[in-house]
This record gives sequence, structure tokens and C-alpha cells, in this order.
Amino acid sequence: MLMSPAKKKSNTEDYLRMYRQMVRIRTFEDNANQLYLSAKMPGLTHMYSGEEAVAVGICEALKVTDKITSTHRGHGHCVAKGAEFKQMFCELLGKEEGYCRGKGGSMHIADQSNGNLGANAIVGGSMGIATGSAFTAKLLGRDDVTVCFFGDGATAQGLLYEVMNMAALWNLPVIYACENNGYSEYTTTAEIAAGSITARAEAFGIEAHRVDGQDVLAVNTLTESLVARARKGEGPFFIELMTYRYHGHHVGDINREYYRPKDEERDWKENKDPITLFGAYLTKEGIATAEELEAMQADVRQDAAAAVEYALAAKYPEESEVDMHVYTDVRHALA
Amino acid sequence: MREITLSQAVNEALAEEMRRDETVFIIGEDVAEAGTPFKVLSGLVEEFGAQRVVDTPIAEPGFMGLAVGAAMTGTRPVVDLMFGDFIYLIMDQLCNQAAKTHYMSGGKLSVPLVLRTNLGATRRSAAQHSQSLHALVAHIPGLKVALPSSAYEAKGLMKTAIRDNNPVVIFEDKLMYNDKAPVPEEEFLIPFGQANIKREGSDITLIGTSSMVQVCEKAAEILAAEGISAEVIDPRTIVPLDEEALLKSAKKTSRVIVVDEGHQSFGITGEIASRINEKAFYHLDAPVLRMGAMDVPVPFSPALEDITVPTPQGVAENARRLMSREMIHAA
Amino acid sequence: MPHEVIMPALGMAQDTGLIVAWHKAPGDAVKTGDVLFEVETDKATMEVEAQADGFLNQVRHHAGQDVPVGEVIALIGSTAEAVETGDAPVTAAPADATALPAGHNVIMPALGMAQDTGLIVAWHKALGDAVRASDILFEVETDKATMEVEAGVDGFVAALLAEAGEAAPVGETIAVISAKKPENAVKVSRAGAPAPAAPPASVQPAPKPEAKAAEPNTPARKPSAPVRADRRILASPKARRLALEQGLDLNRLVEAGYAQPYHAADIDILKSLPAETGATVQAASRRLTAELVTDGFAAFADWAKKHAELGDASALLAGLAAGSLARDHATIAVESFGQSRCYSVPAGPLNGITRADPDIAADLHLRDLRMSPITCVALGAEEAPVLTLTRSGAGLSITLECASHHLTAAQAVALVSEFAGRMEQPLRHLL
Repeated sequence: MLMSPAKKKSNTEDYLRMYRQMVRIRTFEDNANQLYLSAKMPGLTHMYSGEEAVAVGICEALKVTDKITSTHRGHGHCVAKGAEFKQMFCELLGKEEGYCRGKGGSMHIADQSNGNLGANAIVGGSMGIATGSAFTAKLLGRDDVTVCFFGDGATAQGLLYEVMNMAALWNLPVIYACENNGYSEYTTTAEIAAGSITARAEAFGIEAHRVDGQDVLAVNTLTESLVARARKGEGPFFIELMTYRYHGHHVGDINREYYRPKDEERDWKENKDPITLFGAYLTKEGIATAEELEAMQADVRQDAAAAVEYALAAKYPEESEVDMHVYTDVRHALA
Repeated sequence: MREITLSQAVNEALAEEMRRDETVFIIGEDVAEAGTPFKVLSGLVEEFGAQRVVDTPIAEPGFMGLAVGAAMTGTRPVVDLMFGDFIYLIMDQLCNQAAKTHYMSGGKLSVPLVLRTNLGATRRSAAQHSQSLHALVAHIPGLKVALPSSAYEAKGLMKTAIRDNNPVVIFEDKLMYNDKAPVPEEEFLIPFGQANIKREGSDITLIGTSSMVQVCEKAAEILAAEGISAEVIDPRTIVPLDEEALLKSAKKTSRVIVVDEGHQSFGITGEIASRINEKAFYHLDAPVLRMGAMDVPVPFSPALEDITVPTPQGVAENARRLMSREMIHAA
Repeated sequence: MPHEVIMPALGMAQDTGLIVAWHKAPGDAVKTGDVLFEVETDKATMEVEAQADGFLNQVRHHAGQDVPVGEVIALIGSTAEAVETGDAPVTAAPADATALPAGHNVIMPALGMAQDTGLIVAWHKALGDAVRASDILFEVETDKATMEVEAGVDGFVAALLAEAGEAAPVGETIAVISAKKPENAVKVSRAGAPAPAAPPASVQPAPKPEAKAAEPNTPARKPSAPVRADRRILASPKARRLALEQGLDLNRLVEAGYAQPYHAADIDILKSLPAETGATVQAASRRLTAELVTDGFAAFADWAKKHAELGDASALLAGLAAGSLARDHATIAVESFGQSRCYSVPAGPLNGITRADPDIAADLHLRDLRMSPITCVALGAEEAPVLTLTRSGAGLSITLECASHHLTAAQAVALVSEFAGRMEQPLRHLL
């Protein structure tokens, strides 16, 4: 399979960036988790740790102008699509400098400048939006591709089938990326999804793939090819990415043995961690030394710590913001 | 001035805006060759092609969601929802997604989308094809709601809606598609949030929406013959609402009846009456009356259906009560 | 003086005591040490003994009632069922509740929006009269209107604590209606002067037409429009606002018998109501009396005749009266010895007074009865205010009678005060 020569400067640079992006996601989530546990962060949040190869493998195959729609477990997609720690932590803490000026929070970060149309707190809620984004590209003759991230749990939503039907009918440049982390909230996927997940897409004539979501190169390689084809009007596509979430459904979901054994979690963390696996690959291939990777991790940790510190000290929005952005053309909706 | 039907007016508005702006497209069930069951869109697919007049599967949440995403990324969809009753099917996409995107993104994203649908009973269509559900969406911040009362209004409001950068829901009265009214040939827009004083009067204000504007005008005729001077006001859009104009009239006449075809309880009539009560209380000489559709599912039988909606006679009768010295609910 | 039986403080943090039972009945003879009643606090029940000999009277709280500590709950008097006025003079202030007969307290009602006092225009019942709850007991005038007030309970008029013509604060007790025919009925004026103990038979309230004479052709008008029990007026917000802005009293519509609720259109009716109709002049009358110990007028008239060539004593009276009216110019009609003369009185010294055409409506009538044996008048108001001069011992009695629309209460008081001052020291007028 040929990589697009225009995009690639060298594999080394790409690989190191993918590694760094996965580390950034993991580090972001570790900090977010600590903020929550130390009661510095309002609301609730859903950790992406363990699934980094999915977001990074896919987003590294996209251009800035390509779009994604994200989910309640969306920090990883946001980082992978190019967001900055500072504005992300500010948003998590409800601060004015957040990506959404503190109005969205963890479950609604949108970063339009990088093509992130926003996380969605309604499971499956963004499937229509992603398909519509692809519709725009087709209608206006743009070559954008849109990736719709959703979980295995969202395959139970009827909206998916309505929009896959239309995307297939109209050959829309959209890739439905199903992150199958094995659990639909507090229930194993086997209990909520009958039959095959990829077969659902295939029923509409959509080409569907199943890939190891812990292998960032496998994910990236597959996505690169599907994105290129989608740009040519061969979409839509469907990918089922087999992955695992290290935390519970949300940060407060601590006692989860009733639905998931600890042994299973340990096995994924020890043997299938996407960062560890890719780090081993990079050292084995001589692309980076263990020390260089450790230095990169330390660098990212420092970035994150500085961003957290900044966000904690940042100011909240003025109260007068409360009725702003209700309508585009009315500065204060209640004035 | 030439007279055209409300249906033709909507068609013209869409065609003009689609010619003006190539990002405008129509999407919905049977909008293309069929031109919708009410034939409002006939001829548009021939001019603009199937790319911009898009027939969808019968999947309201799907095409509504698709339109939200399309609007967020640079187009101006006009979603055709065949019957207003189907709005329940698209509630998540309309109210959780379209209405909140601009706010939740801190103003970064916007959803310039028009949802065209209808309202109105007495078409013998029973309870799932006759509802007037505009109050449901008017309740949701982030949505604008327009209620055209004539062909002229339908054209001017539709053109404004398409140019608006917010999600706008337009409810046309499905019984008025063939009603003719003078509509200028030259282009015009009707701004949102500017009520229209359809008839000046001094004794009582009749605030009507959509087809209830006609009902109020007929009631005003009846009353005029009896020496009662009724002012008829059409708010045109209920979000935004031209509160100032309504209050001004209420203060002038000191008696108000609000007439709307949505169910009377928890609806538009109650909202408007409440605002007048709050802001014009010391100018009121009688309680503000609400007249909405009866709080029952719309029945099929003509004998039953006709009594569920306000009529000119009913409005006139209530106006007489307010004008008399009757003690209304004042025990 | 009667002995007060007080709710005792028994507990540490006791605010009230519950009367469990009375061991003596009203009218019973009691001796010191007799158990009078049982009281229950939060802790216990105990018997309370009488602290005086006498008769148990005026039991104000009954078994089952919770009474604040320190409150008088009964009196022990020297006679059974007697109203204990003791040695106190009959002029005892009416506020002294212990001197009042037991019964239902009739209070000055609050009728207007911003009314502090009410002027008693007339009592329709005399002391000792039997009354029914629906009987008109008295007429009261507020700043805006006059209205009749019903007794409210059946019984006997046991006390009248304000005279006609007197104002009493809203909420204050102005009469007592007892269940039994009172033996020692009390009648006092608020001014403190003992009211003449007129025999009940002679106190015939003038039969007065109800204050309802207005145009009979107004459709909303009902002969007896109901007045709400809570005295609230049903009116639209707009009607209330217009009334407030224009200083109009919606009570007048109620009195005139217009049906509620009132709307903005009724404000026009309210504005068109005659200030007072002829029939209501009497009903809305004011009567004020001043007593002068010395009469300085006779000497002044002599002085004026000799030194100022002002020989017409009636003209002098007219001058003093006009000066008291606080107007630039006034026409005064003086009746004396059955003759009536009209004077035109300009502002300034008395020598500008001229006789006026008797057909001109006078601003004020002055009835000079100093030479008459009559000592007290209550003839009611006429077309204009009437000042009556009567002899009172060595001094003079001045009575003003007028309708409420002639003069406000304050103007009436000012007129009588000014005129009394001038009659006492006429030279003051010249200064």
C-alpha cells in the first residue's frame, strides 16, 4: 500500500509524532483524572486511556480540514486532532479560555480550527452531524473526509442505520469508526449487540473493516487508505477498532468487578498497551532509544503540568456570558 | 398587486434563495419530483437538481441530523418535515444538537438551518397529522420560531429564515397552502421579531398566530358591526417575540385575547398572556384570555374536530365578555 | 377599682397558659383563696386562686383558650355583672378597657386605602338600645366618603366611646355591644367631656335615606349592590390605577350602589358622581362645637361702634367669620332675631364690609342665637356651612355644621378654631 508521498516527510517523524500524541493523550487523562479525584474539576468525565492508538492512528491520517465528530469519551480525539492542553484543561475546569469558553466542559469540547465538530453527550448523537459534514463536502465539491467516532454501545442507536443508509445511497465521504472497547457503559458488548458489528454496515453495502485498535500503525495504515478512497468518492467506510478502556465508564466508576474482572484489565495494561507496544517497536526498529522516549514523556508531563497550573489559575467567564452565544446574531439573548 | 398562494410563495422564496446562494439545499421526504404531498416544492428539483433538492429515506432523525452536520460545515439546509407531528421524531437532533451547538461551542460553531414544517387541524387527519407543536420548540433556547399567517408572510419570513445563521423552525398552516394573498414581484424580506398590526382598534387587542390571524380578523369584523373596535396583531415570529408591540397594544386597549392553534395549556397563549400580565398589569381592564386548541388529541370526526379549534365566533364571543361588565373568573 | 385576674407565668420559658377550666362562673361571688381556674403549661396543670374578694366579672377567656402570660383574663369586682368604673370619673379615657362593659368591641373600620382615622358622622343607635347584627350602628366618614357600618353582632349598646363629630383612629374601640341589657352603660366622648346622659328615647337618629341617590338610569347600578364581606373592592388593575392617579375613591362607587367589578369605564361614572347629592348632605355632615369661657365680642362691638363707626354688629360677626374662612373674599349670611342679612366681606379691615344681595349663595351662614334660650343645636348641614352661636353660661358656644364636601375635616377644625379665637379676642382679627 502506497503512502501519499506529498504528506510524508519521513516515517521517523510521523512515528515519533504518533508516539508523542499517544503519550499526550495518556498524560492528559492522567491529569484530568487527578483533577477530578482532587475535586478540582466540576462535573464528570470519561477517560480515554487505553484507546490512544485509535484516535491517533485515525487522526494522523487526516488533514486539518478533515472533520471528526467525537463522543463523551472524547479527550483523545480532541488531542489527536490537534488541540492544545491549555484550552482543553481550561474547558474541563469551566474557564473562560476554554475551547468553548467554559460552556461545554469535558463532554462537549469542540475545536473548530482543527476540524473537531465537537464531542457529544448523547450516545450516537453525532452520527447525523458527521454524515451531514460529509454531505457538505460532497455538495460543495470539497475533498474533506469526516470521521465519525462512536462506541460499540452506540451501535444500538437507530440513528446509525438511518445515516449509514443515506451515506451509502449518496456515497458520502464519511468513515464510521466504531471504538469497540468491550463495554457499553457497565455492560459487556456481547450482552447488547447481537450478531456482527461490521455486518451492520455491510448490510448497507458499506465496506467494513475490523482492526486491532491497540496497534497504532495498523489503524493508521488502514485509515490512510480509506481516507484516500473516500476523497475519491468511494465512501462511506466502516471500521471496527478493537480496543480497551483502562478506567471505568466514568471517573467515579471505581468498583467495577461486577462487570469486568481485574485480571482482564491487568492483561490489557501489561500486554496490550498501545504506547508500550509502539515504544517497543520504535526502539526495536532503531527509530528512538528508550531514553529518548522517556525524555519525550517527561517533556509532555511538564507541558501538561504547566497547562493544569495555568487552567487552575485562569479566570471563570463573567456572569454576563451566561446569555451569550444562544443566538449568533443576538449578543445577549436575555437583554 | 398580483396574488399568489401560500404554497407558491414558499416555493418562490426557496427558489430565490437557492439562486442567490448555492449552499442552500432542500432535504426531506418526497421533496424532489413529488414536490411534497402538498406540492409546495414542485418544479424546484427541475431547476436545482437532485443534489440540492434531496429526497431522503423515511428517516426523520437521520436527515435532520445530517442537516445539522451540513449546516455546521458550511451549507444552509432547508429541512422539509412532512408533518409537524413528526417533530417528536427529531427532537434530539433539533433540541439537543441544533439548538445547543452554538452555545456549547462557546460561539465557535453555528447551525444555519431551516426546518420547514406545518401545523393546523380540521383537515380530517386525526391526532398524528393535525397537531400544532410550535410551543414545544419555542420552549428551547437557541431555536427561532416563525409562524407565517399569509402568502406574503410565508415568503418574507422564509427568505429571512434561510439567511439567518441560527436554526429556525417555520410552521406553515397546512390548510392555508391554497390561500391567496397579494405578494409583490420584487424581492422583499420580513425581519424576525417585528409584529404586524393587521388592523387597528381601540377597545380590545386580538393577538393571533398563523391561521389564527385570519380568525382574529374575522372576529374583528363581527365585533366592528357591534361597535367594538378590535386591534389585530400578528407577532409573525414567536421567537424572537416582539414584546414591545404586544405590550403597546395591550396598554392601548387594556383588553387582550391571545389566539393560537397549539393546545391551550402550557402553550404560546399562556406565555404571551403572562408577559402582558407581568409588564402591562396596571393597564389591564380585564383578564388576558387565552384561546388555544382544546386540550385533547385532535379527533378525526368532523363533528368533533371542528370544536377543538378557536373560531371567529368564539373569539368574538370572548371579546364581548371582556367588553361587558362580566366578572370573569373573579369569584 | 376591680381586681385584675392575670394569666400567671408558671414555667421558665412559658409564653402562654391554657385555661383548662373555670371553677367560678361570671357573676359568682369569690373569696381570696378560692380556686378560680385551672391552667396548663407545658409542664403541668395547676389551680389558680383568687387574690381578692368580690364577684367574678368580665371573663374574657374561656376554657380551652391559650392566653399569653400577663394578660388580664377576668376581673373581680364589687358587684356582680357590674361595670366597674369605681371611683373614676365618668370622663375616664375610653382607652381604659377595664372600665368598659363586657361585650363585643366595635372598632373604627379601615375603609380607605390610606385611612388613619374615621369621623363618626352619626350614631344610629343610642345607649341601651337593642341591636341586631345587621342594624346600622353608625355612619363613618373617611377622607373620601361616608358609609354606614353595621353592628356586626346582636345585643345591646353598652358603651359609646366617641361622639358624633369625633374622629377615632382606625382599629380603636368606639362602642361595646353586650349580650345582656347593660345596667351601667357608658357613654363618653373622645375629648374626655362627659356626654350628656340623654335618655335613650330622646336620641332618635334622624331617619336618613341611604347614601344611594344617584342617576337611576345607569345600567350597572343596582339598588343594593353587595359589599364584599372582606370589604375588598373588585376592580381591574387599570381602574385601580386610574382611581389612584386621579385621587378618586372606588368606595364611592360601592356606596352609590354600582355593581362590582369596576373597570376603567367606571372611573368616568365615579368622576361624574355628584360631590354629594342633596339627600346625602345630611348624612355626610360634620358637627363641631367649641366652648368659650368668655365672650369678648360684646365689648368689641361696643368699642367698634364708638371708635370705628362700625355700628352693625352683624357685619362685625360676618367679618370675623369671613376672616376665619381663610378666603380672599366671602359672602356671609347672618341670621339674627329671625332676620337674615347678607354681607360681602373682602380681605382686610372690617370697614370694607358691605351688604350683599340676599339671593347670592352665601359661603357661610352665621346663626346668632346668643339672645335665645337655646343652648345646643344639631340642625344638620345646609347648602353652605352653618356656624351657630349660643350662650353658654358666661361664655359662648360655637357649633359648626356642614357637609363633608363643604369643608374637609381639617378645614372645619380650622374654621371653628379661628372663629372661636376671634370671638374670644376680636382685636386679634384687627391685628
